[in-house]
Amino acid sequence: MKRFTNLFFKEIRELITLQLVISLLFFMGLFYFMGELGKREVKKAGAAQKISVLDLDQSEFSKELVDSLKTVNFQVEWVKEKDKEAAIQSARNSDTNLLLVIPKGFGESVAKFEVKEVETYTFLRSFSLSGLKKSEILKAIISATNNYLSNDFLKKKIPDISSESLKNPIKSKDFVIVKSRMAQGSASAIAGFVYSQSIIVPVILMMIIIYSSQMVISAIAMEKQNKTLETLLTVPINRTSIVTAKMLAAGLVGLISAVIYMFGFKFYFGSFTGDMRVSADITNVIQKLGLALDTNGYLALGISLFFAILCALALATILGVLAEDYRSAQSLIMPLIFLVLIPYFLSFFADIRSLSTPVKVFIWAIPFSHPFLATQNILLENYSAVLYGILYMFILFAVLVVLAARIFSTDRVLTMKLRWRKKKVVL
Amino acid sequence: MVTVLQVEGLKKFFGSLEALKGIDFEVHEREIFALIGPNGAGKTTALRVVSTLLAPSDGKVTFLGHDLRKNPEKIREKISYLPEEAGAYRNLRGTKYLRFMANFYASTGEETEEFLKRAEGIADLGNRLDEKVGTYSKGMVRKLLLARALMTRPAMAILDEPTSGLDVINSLEVREIIKKYAREGISVLLSSHNMLEIEFLSDRVAMIDKGRILDSGTPQELKDKYQATNLEVVFRSALQ
Repeated sequence: MKRFTNLFFKEIRELITLQLVISLLFFMGLFYFMGELGKREVKKAGAAQKISVLDLDQSEFSKELVDSLKTVNFQVEWVKEKDKEAAIQSARNSDTNLLLVIPKGFGESVAKFEVKEVETYTFLRSFSLSGLKKSEILKAIISATNNYLSNDFLKKKIPDISSESLKNPIKSKDFVIVKSRMAQGSASAIAGFVYSQSIIVPVILMMIIIYSSQMVISAIAMEKQNKTLETLLTVPINRTSIVTAKMLAAGLVGLISAVIYMFGFKFYFGSFTGDMRVSADITNVIQKLGLALDTNGYLALGISLFFAILCALALATILGVLAEDYRSAQSLIMPLIFLVLIPYFLSFFADIRSLSTPVKVFIWAIPFSHPFLATQNILLENYSAVLYGILYMFILFAVLVVLAARIFSTDRVLTMKLRWRKKKVVL
Repeated sequence: MVTVLQVEGLKKFFGSLEALKGIDFEVHEREIFALIGPNGAGKTTALRVVSTLLAPSDGKVTFLGHDLRKNPEKIREKISYLPEEAGAYRNLRGTKYLRFMANFYASTGEETEEFLKRAEGIADLGNRLDEKVGTYSKGMVRKLLLARALMTRPAMAILDEPTSGLDVINSLEVREIIKKYAREGISVLLSSHNMLEIEFLSDRVAMIDKGRILDSGTPQELKDKYQATNLEVVFRSALQ
């Protein structure tokens, strides 16, 4: 055990280099900076926005429309100019991004229930979030005003019938069924919510797998490149311990790096979504349908993630043996990255059950598919799929570790090389 | 005379290439035994097999009673191998590297410190030992590695071209160190294509070419046998 810990800590020391620490700190700083910028943009978008208004009508209706703008946090600036072109020019030169032109006769037309156009001008001075959000709000206000006016019209003309019933004679009552549970709600809203809540899991998994694997492959390749492997293989420590120490150390450093990166990502994305509130309706429906992970769900997901990482480390160890040096190690990581990316993208876009059997077998044979699909399976109560996945990954990991240890126990660790040139043997 | 290492009929294949064609030799206690031969003769392969890096394709290797095929881990505890193109971990400081290697062999903290003290004496790198190995010259790395190989006083040190990359002064120092440790009880199996170095260092010599041992004996015996003034001439005569 002393020899194992000796090697394990050496591996950690070798992996945590100044370059790694600097790049992680830089990454954190960069995402902190970007996150702060994002927050500021979101805050700006939510703050009172200036809108220039040219009211050529000066009627009761036009005043009502402008008042409704004030209620949704618009700061109205009246345009002094008396014609449209001058108003556009004036707004262009000011710091306002929106201009609303209410034409003459607007109130009169509305009173007669005739269609009358108001004109809105959006000055795109940047493509920032706040700039784009304002014109959407303005459109929503006009739509709400339209709705109010049409309801008012119908109420006056046909007072006995509800204007809502007249406009929408057919209404749907939506239900969603998940296994044995049923709840009233919109399927797309629920799917969207579950998707947004579980989207982070594949991202974390992909980063951890890629980081850890890269660490293992590089660690072995660097031993070869620096000509330290031969010495290490002649010291009194069994080869399985060498493999395990390298895998664990790389796994740990990869995990720490991935957590730091994820923390950065979370900070960055949190700056845009941090103020989002989930409606009580959606929360109720989610609870009724059991679409939230409970303790057992998190445990199953954690175990699935853990075995996927172990499989990746074992595979990376074998690939590392094939590397001649650090450079070739970087290209050897590619097959592993593909194996991670296939289920990663499939988990976003495809329903595995709808695929043909050979494709399904191929997907399930990739160990990383199981944790990517585990969240869905747990939420949809397909526990057997999760358990079989864990069992498969456990068996695969055991096979891969035995294989890696056997390679390290023989002279293949020195003679196995993946290269197209004719093998050169040192005599 | 106690035999430390016994090699009998050792063969090694790399695919269809027969690198060692059934070689025999033995190394005794406190003896410096050298394999000499040109590049590609099979010296490094023989040393790699004895140091448990490569598995023999045929033949028998016994070290202090342990069969190399059956018990390589026991052998690793008693040997120390210095490969020809060995390196050290560039991100570790010299002392950290030596401590890391010493920890594999020492059973107590005191023993680790004893190994380190010895290594510092052999390496003779002074304060540079506190600097990262990545900043060392090739010669400094070689001395550090030689210190690593000898600090544990192994039953046998296997040294592949021990003075490779060293200048004349450092080479002389290294040869003296090897001689000193052999006198103190370490058996040494080394390889070199530098015949003069071998003549200075070795108690016995085996001449190897194309995977076969051509002849063996003390440098004097060989010189007498081939009526030569030095080992270079002996080797040329043996080849003919």
